[in-house]
Amino acid sequence: MTHLRTLGAAVALAIVLSSLPEPASAADPKDKATMAGMTGMGKKVRVELASSAAFTKDGQLLAVAKQGDHLLLYRSSDQGANWSPPVIINARPEAISGDGENRPKITFAQDGAVLVSWTKPLGKPNTGEVRLARSNDGGARFSAPITVHRDRQEITHRFETMVVGGDGRIYLAWIDKRDLESAKAAKNPYRGGAIYASVSDDGGRSFKPETKVADHSCECCRIAAAVDTDGAPLILWRHVFEPNERDHALAKLRADGTPVGVERATFDRWKVDGCPHHGPALAVAPDGTRHAVWFNLKDGEGRAFYGRLVAGGVEGQRFVGGEQAARADIAIAGQRIGILWKEFDGERTQLHAEISEDGGVSFKRLALGAANGASDHPRAISFGKDLFAYWRTEFEGMRVFRLP
Amino acid sequence: MKRLVRISLLLACVASAASAFAAAFVALDRKSARMLTDEATHAVPTIVALWSTDCPHCKKNLGLFADMVKADAGLRLITVAVEPLSAEVATSLDRIKVLGVRYVYGADAPEAIAFALDPKWCGELPRTLFFDGHGNRIAISGAVDRASTRKSLGLADKR
Repeated sequence: MTHLRTLGAAVALAIVLSSLPEPASAADPKDKATMAGMTGMGKKVRVELASSAAFTKDGQLLAVAKQGDHLLLYRSSDQGANWSPPVIINARPEAISGDGENRPKITFAQDGAVLVSWTKPLGKPNTGEVRLARSNDGGARFSAPITVHRDRQEITHRFETMVVGGDGRIYLAWIDKRDLESAKAAKNPYRGGAIYASVSDDGGRSFKPETKVADHSCECCRIAAAVDTDGAPLILWRHVFEPNERDHALAKLRADGTPVGVERATFDRWKVDGCPHHGPALAVAPDGTRHAVWFNLKDGEGRAFYGRLVAGGVEGQRFVGGEQAARADIAIAGQRIGILWKEFDGERTQLHAEISEDGGVSFKRLALGAANGASDHPRAISFGKDLFAYWRTEFEGMRVFRLP
Repeated sequence: MKRLVRISLLLACVASAASAFAAAFVALDRKSARMLTDEATHAVPTIVALWSTDCPHCKKNLGLFADMVKADAGLRLITVAVEPLSAEVATSLDRIKVLGVRYVYGADAPEAIAFALDPKWCGELPRTLFFDGHGNRIAISGAVDRASTRKSLGLADKR
């Protein structure tokens, strides 16, 4: 019987080996040496589809995505049906993070300037700088990008989020490992990374020295941001609560980037020494209710959740979608709340939405589309009273779905 | 007899293919990923370690598994980088001196490969599939230690 099993395993391995695709072509010259002489490689290199989109005040849809060492800006005047040829944002090529958790971002300063932020990976693994470029002419040309933070160590300053406060200040917050590196050097223990923030009061032309928001963030999940009803920025991130609970924390930022307070926002108590690589999303309703979606392992099951964040707890927490639901996002337009997520059905990745017209008490569900290949996380965006799903997929490109 | 010869030939072919790939990489698609994690294909205690270059806890696990495999010839380690091949994937494994068959994601949709590897997995890393060699498998997310690894492989009581 053991022989039979061994034979079965051997045959299976033979089939595995014989069914493998052709040798790869390397995307990055530095990878070519490594990949040369390797057999049985698939032709794939890392697909970096990560993209963001936002509507201008006059309803133009702008999207940013990377291509090689350039970030490109696309424009649509018909809600994503057609896109203009791209504008290059960074004239000088540089490395750009382009995965779903660490995507380029786009927003608008109060004077209408287009602001684009991204993480520039540095030489050492998992290091980076937070970069920002500004366009005064609606995205026709961009200024040379600036590095937002003063700390220039070759360490983690990555996974930035960007939000414009009600006061017109531009807030950027990111995962920063300067405290972890100092602790390591002193041989002291330190959980995770930290959240730092920097503020611009000149529309993103320059940033003030960064300040620490919180110690002990998780290390590679996107940070969510929203504007509270008083105009102050709120940020929501995956935190490492003692001893190793990877739940979420919420902070409101002052005008100088320091936190008013750091509160625990979710209470699923996922104890893991690992990387969920799956960050939350947050939207604030006109009545101040904080609607969030996130991923956690709860009672042994990894699921996407929706809930309303209240002091000391979560109201109305429930699953979003099925067992494969992932990468949920949320947006609010007037009284409407839209939740998006993707879900692999065994063959293809399906994009789903839920819409609430009653402040999150009830939601109606609808299927939006599917992708055969790789896909970015879906992004929920709004324009006026309308909600949209923006989804970049490997074979279909930049897709926009208006939520009915 | 003919059948025996054919099986021997096949095994010889497998052995040479396996040794040729020992330090190289093999790209997965959904079909090969499903076969790789089929309980029936693992006749000896086997660790299938899913990892990525940007996951510090993965490297801790890989170091532990590499040590355990070196110390116990009856144990097998298969690594799966849940990303396409890059210089960093290779150097990370070399740095930790990880032996065993090295898989990376190939040209298929990443979500399809992930689902085929482990339909209960939501992308968190490290994710490790432990096969006891008797048709059972356990999946664990996060860093593990030597004792829990042995237990997950069904080896806890043999020490």
